[in-house]
Amino acid sequence: MLEVKNLKASIGGKEILTGLNLSVKAGEVHAIMGPNGSGKSTLAQVIAGHADYEVTSGAVEFLGKDLLDLDPEERAREGIFLGFQYPVEIPGVNNAYLLKAAVNAKRKHHGMDEIDAFEFLKLAREKMTMLGMDPVFLNRGVNEGFSGGEKKRNEILQMAMLEPSLAILDETDSGLDIDALKAVANGVNSLRDPERAIVLVTHYQRLLDYIEPDYVHVLSGGQIIRSGDKSLALELEDRGYEWVVEAASA
Amino acid sequence: MSATAINQDMLLAVVEAMPGDKLAEARRAAAFRFAELGFPTVGQEDWKYTNLSVAAELGNEWLDAYVANGGQESDSRTGNLIAAVQNRIDAYWIILRDGFVDSNLPDVDGIRVSRIAEQGHRPLEGADAMSVFNTALLRDGLYVRAEPGAVPDKPIGILIIDNPENAMSQTRVMIDSGENSHLRIVECCLSSEAGRQFTNSIFEADLADGATLDHVRIQNRDEAHVSVNKLSAKLRRDSNFNHNSFDLGGALTRNDVNAEITGEGASVNLNGLYLAAGDQHIDNHTSIVHGVGPSTSEEEYRGILSGRSRCVFNGKVIVSPGADGTDSRQSNHNLLLSDRAEIDTKPELEIYADDVKCAHGATVGQLDETALFYLRTRGLGLDHARRIITRAFAAGTLSTLAVAECHDYLADVLDQRLANLIDAKQ
Ligand SMILES: Nc1ncnc2c1ncn2[C@@H]1O[C@H](COP(=O)(O)OP(=O)(O)OP(=O)(O)O)[C@@H](O)[C@H]1O
Ligand SMILES: [Mg+2]
Repeated sequence: MLEVKNLKASIGGKEILTGLNLSVKAGEVHAIMGPNGSGKSTLAQVIAGHADYEVTSGAVEFLGKDLLDLDPEERAREGIFLGFQYPVEIPGVNNAYLLKAAVNAKRKHHGMDEIDAFEFLKLAREKMTMLGMDPVFLNRGVNEGFSGGEKKRNEILQMAMLEPSLAILDETDSGLDIDALKAVANGVNSLRDPERAIVLVTHYQRLLDYIEPDYVHVLSGGQIIRSGDKSLALELEDRGYEWVVEAASA
Repeated sequence: MSATAINQDMLLAVVEAMPGDKLAEARRAAAFRFAELGFPTVGQEDWKYTNLSVAAELGNEWLDAYVANGGQESDSRTGNLIAAVQNRIDAYWIILRDGFVDSNLPDVDGIRVSRIAEQGHRPLEGADAMSVFNTALLRDGLYVRAEPGAVPDKPIGILIIDNPENAMSQTRVMIDSGENSHLRIVECCLSSEAGRQFTNSIFEADLADGATLDHVRIQNRDEAHVSVNKLSAKLRRDSNFNHNSFDLGGALTRNDVNAEITGEGASVNLNGLYLAAGDQHIDNHTSIVHGVGPSTSEEEYRGILSGRSRCVFNGKVIVSPGADGTDSRQSNHNLLLSDRAEIDTKPELEIYADDVKCAHGATVGQLDETALFYLRTRGLGLDHARRIITRAFAAGTLSTLAVAECHDYLADVLDQRLANLIDAKQ
């Protein structure tokens, strides 16, 4: 589904991704861990199409298409969803409006009619119940004045409404209380499907107790320097990153 | 400087030639006074960004035409224009065409609506050049008086239609709000067709004790239109003046809004939104005088600028000696959609009392790139994302709308205008 080959990307002349390879197949859940500043969010933003990052070499393919050729909105409509590490507040833009516009943009792209207003509300309420969100959040400005945890739940709400083929969740677990973590994990698990894939960027094993990954990768210095199964996450929790970094540079 | 000035001889000749109605004497006196004043020039601090040469040119054209054919012709090809507004805003409508009343006057309980010059009203005020010029050529206008305690069920709507076939018009609306009355007024300023024209308008309101006046002005004139608009409100004890202005059209628009608090417990609310594209020039000069305290004023102007447009915001707040307990807040926020657009924003506080709270702030910014990216990652196209962020910025001023009846109409014209602004960003 997603093939990242020897990807190099820089920002402000500084190379952050230094030749990264990653292959994600339909039905899989991948976890990406790694030290602060190693380039995890950069990878997520480059895949989503952030224009500030310059891709200097390499390729990213999504469902057989050259992703780097597409605008961010086209990537989204094709089925990529990025849950932001720091969701953006957009004062005055109604949350329900955005959800509906997003759903309709995707439907239109796939030749479908706009969603019926009643059906939309029903679906949104259903997803919010699953995520333990009060329906009043529909009428607030997008992330406007939301607490940290509320913003993360809102990201998952958007994901649940959009049903992406590939969801990349950048530290969606940080800042969540225990109930919220379970609710978010619920939301993610409900999306698991042989046709979809999920990439979780996280610092904590805790999330992986709820969402079991097929693969765990360590990203350091702009590359994936080790991959393993879920036991790697446990080992990292135990021993930190140093030994992996040392082993890679040896 | 070779700025065009009004031809004074011609002005006097025209004033002499006008019919001998009740305003004749006031006109003559004003014409002589205007000969000493002339139009403001960019040499004057308050006018340094706004050049009235075009207005003077159009004024002279009009004077020429008056001498040639005796002035005023009416235009009645505006049925659709009128219906488009009247069907959307539920109000008691009056039409002012080139400054002349051109409709029946509504019969509303507790409200007296009459024509200036026909019935008794307070004297014409205003010693500044533009007011004097208005008086010098004034033939008609509207006088609205709310009797004490009157609270009409619907707003009074004033449809101000100017016709570019006449190069210039003088518009005048006078309001007397009786004690504890609550009058709501919507003014819609439109052009009957495309073309150059200069409108010099005056809106004067006097609020008695406990009166509330809500006033919304929607200016959506032709892109070649030039206007200078003076609004003044005098507030007595416990009175409230709530004003919203929406400037969407016009080539050059200058608004002077002056509110004077002369009684304890009065409050002033000024809200403005200006949308400028192309070469549009919109200049808002506001002044709030807290003559006594306690009293409050709240002011928020927002602007969205694209193309090579130029806007000015100057917010003066004067707190007179002894006006303790004054609470005043002012802000001006601007969104620049193009790097060739320009805004000059300036607060001017003059505080002569001690126990006073005065806050002000101004911002100038571009569309938030992070927000645009976020919306695009949700599948919204770039233009759509730009439009909704810009609209959200503009919509802030709808939440403080003084006359709710015009909300939907305004939301629609705003959307149309914003779509144009974003399409023609550069
Ligand atoms: N605009 C920029 N200019 C220069 N360096 C930048 C810029 N943006 C990000 N970086 C740098 O890129 C590096 C990678 O950042 P990134 O956000 O991808 O890290 P991360 O792995 O997600 O870290 P964390 O775990 O803390 O979220 C960091 O060193 C960061 O300082
Ligand atoms: Mg990060």
